[in-house]
Amino acid sequence: MGEHTVASFDEDLGQISRLISDMGDLAGSMVGGATKALLNSDNALAQRVVSDDAIMDARQRELDDRAITLIAKRQPMADDLRHVVGSIRMAGDLERIGDLAKNIAKRVGTVGLSVTPRDLSHSIDAMAQLVLIQVQGVIEEYAARDAAALAKLRAADERIDVKYTSVFRELLTYMMEDPRNITACTHLLFCAKNLERIGDHVTNIAENAYYVLTGTQLPANRPKQDETAMSAPAA
Amino acid sequence: MSQMLSPDMTIAAEATAKAKIEVKNLNFYYGQSKALKDITLSLPERSVTAFIGPSGCGKSTLLRVFNRIYELYPKQTAEGQVLLDGQNVLDRSQDLNLLRTKIGMVFQKPTPFPMSIYENIAFGVRLYEKLSKSEMDGRVEQALKRAALWNEVKDKLNASGLSLSGGQQQRLCIARTVAVKPEVILLDEPASALDPLSTAKIEELIDELQADYTIVIVTHNMQQAARVSKQTAFMYLGELVEFDRTEKIFTSPREKRTQDYITGRFG
Repeated sequence: MGEHTVASFDEDLGQISRLISDMGDLAGSMVGGATKALLNSDNALAQRVVSDDAIMDARQRELDDRAITLIAKRQPMADDLRHVVGSIRMAGDLERIGDLAKNIAKRVGTVGLSVTPRDLSHSIDAMAQLVLIQVQGVIEEYAARDAAALAKLRAADERIDVKYTSVFRELLTYMMEDPRNITACTHLLFCAKNLERIGDHVTNIAENAYYVLTGTQLPANRPKQDETAMSAPAA
Repeated sequence: MSQMLSPDMTIAAEATAKAKIEVKNLNFYYGQSKALKDITLSLPERSVTAFIGPSGCGKSTLLRVFNRIYELYPKQTAEGQVLLDGQNVLDRSQDLNLLRTKIGMVFQKPTPFPMSIYENIAFGVRLYEKLSKSEMDGRVEQALKRAALWNEVKDKLNASGLSLSGGQQQRLCIARTVAVKPEVILLDEPASALDPLSTAKIEELIDELQADYTIVIVTHNMQQAARVSKQTAFMYLGELVEFDRTEKIFTSPREKRTQDYITGRFG
């Protein structure tokens, strides 16, 4: 990518890239932290994740301001335009990932009070690891400008959906086995759902990043493997 | 599903649009110097096409070939074909006066004649048509309305054209072009000397005129090209680098040179 004739244009775009990278790192740390706090009943770590969300929100506002100012000042075109608009959208998804991680963190105290969550959450642990790899991977591949890897990463969300279906069934079984598990398992179900939603936001980011890099959209249809709607009580 | 289909349908609709001007293997020389290199492109009827590119890329030269206005100057020659409705305008047998009534042109600097607003428009019409006073009045009014100038000048048609503001003078020039009922209008940086409000009026006018005319605009203002045109040609050093739907050119151009130019990474 060559440099712009106006050097400050490159600086403005660079600041937006740095913000996306910072928000990506923060999202990874929040998801990792929230999961760890949940599995270890670590309230202090959960509190840190909750307070990190304010930093995430502030970063998003800063990115919005910078992107809008850049559009007004420079009227970006082609890859520059895609970069700026794509960054606004990616920041929106990263901010939502922060919200979902915060929501998991806020449940840590409640789950920990009722049972030892470790016994119930082996599958959630595995699911969380998959999600974390996706969150960290999407920002790395975007920074490396690797469109093919982004397309692959987007398809890999299928594994999270499959895992979510199995977590859902597992928690349902625990609840049927012993009604005293219901409170904890319900919270864990929300946590699993949040992780699954984080995976969806990662696919949005991968799609946006792919468009920013290539100027073409990935095909609309992505395989969907979340079968919990089909195995709901009514079925 | 409708979102998926619409871009393809747009392309299909454009593909079936009739070509008004077809340029085939056009070369142009200023003396020994080759200014246009083997240009081939097709401009659809009743649509706005923009030519963009850095200074000296040949975009204005290409415009000047369409109505053979280059022949006013010595040692300028064109080779190849420029077909207007299938007829090669570069043929020696082409009647130049007739060609220039079919293909009107508006320049960067407004060029009103030093005569009244009314006469600025009537003058050109009289060269080609014998109209009665009332018919001519009607034609002048219609042209001024077409150029969105009527309301501003209807009470001072006998005032000098030079008394108008720059933006009004440019619209007067467009009215003068429209009055002789052309089929194609060539605009060579029509708004580059105008303030933003006058520019907006010219752009609005271009938008309205494309319902009846084939319009070709040369502009250095990329946002203007993006706003007013349906297809855009990027030229560089006398070559046609890329020609595509305007939306495509400004969001994801195919060629790196186009991308570098429109994003300001050139040179």
